[in-house]
Amino acid sequence: MTADTISPAANSQLRVLGWVALALRIILAGLFVLAGGLKLLDPAAFAAEINRYQLIPWWSCALLALLLPWLEICVGIALFTRWFSRGALTWVTALLIVFSLALLSAMLRGLSIDCGCFGRMWQSTGTFWPLLRNLALLGITVLLWWNPRPH
Amino acid sequence: MKTGGQVSVIFFAALALAGLTAAVHPKKPSFPDRFPAPGEISLQDVQNWNEPVLWVDARPESDYEIEHVPGAVSLNPDNWSEQLPHFLDGWRPAQRVVVYCSAASCETSREIADRLRHSGVDPVYYLKGGWEAWRTTR
Repeated sequence: MTADTISPAANSQLRVLGWVALALRIILAGLFVLAGGLKLLDPAAFAAEINRYQLIPWWSCALLALLLPWLEICVGIALFTRWFSRGALTWVTALLIVFSLALLSAMLRGLSIDCGCFGRMWQSTGTFWPLLRNLALLGITVLLWWNPRPH
Repeated sequence: MKTGGQVSVIFFAALALAGLTAAVHPKKPSFPDRFPAPGEISLQDVQNWNEPVLWVDARPESDYEIEHVPGAVSLNPDNWSEQLPHFLDGWRPAQRVVVYCSAASCETSREIADRLRHSGVDPVYYLKGGWEAWRTTR
């Protein structure tokens, strides 16, 4: 069934949903570009933030501190422009799951650390609220998977 | 392009840009282990950590009261029992601790570092050259 064959009311609903999906996509893209850009200002400081999670050795913290910001920026641009849309959504889903697991692990181990999600711009955020935010973003991502190309 | 291909394109684009960043960024992370095993550490290394450190002043309290590293906590063999709970209140798990005593010749910083480790504080370092090393660089 296409938009031409459905009732005007349903078509109107689809349009609204399309616009909502578009807005959510832009918000998600903006957050990823912002997060990546802020981390890129000081990759050495970001590596130290990753190291505080005590999950991986230092050399991989340094590697991730260089790679993650660009991955977030590329994903954000891809989401915004809709180039490689499914690939970007796959990365967003994977990154948000990994970030959430890292935050959960820090919470369970009682680590008193900052999220490090936005470099050093927003510190003292702890781990609880960033975890909730990530879960909300995961919810948005699920909606976008359902409707990756809004009308 | 299939999803797997798109995922790969995004990854390799980010990898290429990360390589460029590693080559030119003035604040790129250093790959050799920046945090050596707990033990003696130089002031230069501590300053290169680029993160907050909890300083412990292991000198007598009279010396501490005259002057100490900003933010340092006084913890020495004489006040150990009464000050340790205060120290633990201010220490965040995984926060790096650096203990110093008067000079290179004193052993108190090493002793306090050992005591802290046995109390579950980790990682703990002791400053090479002690207070003298700090003072001469100020």
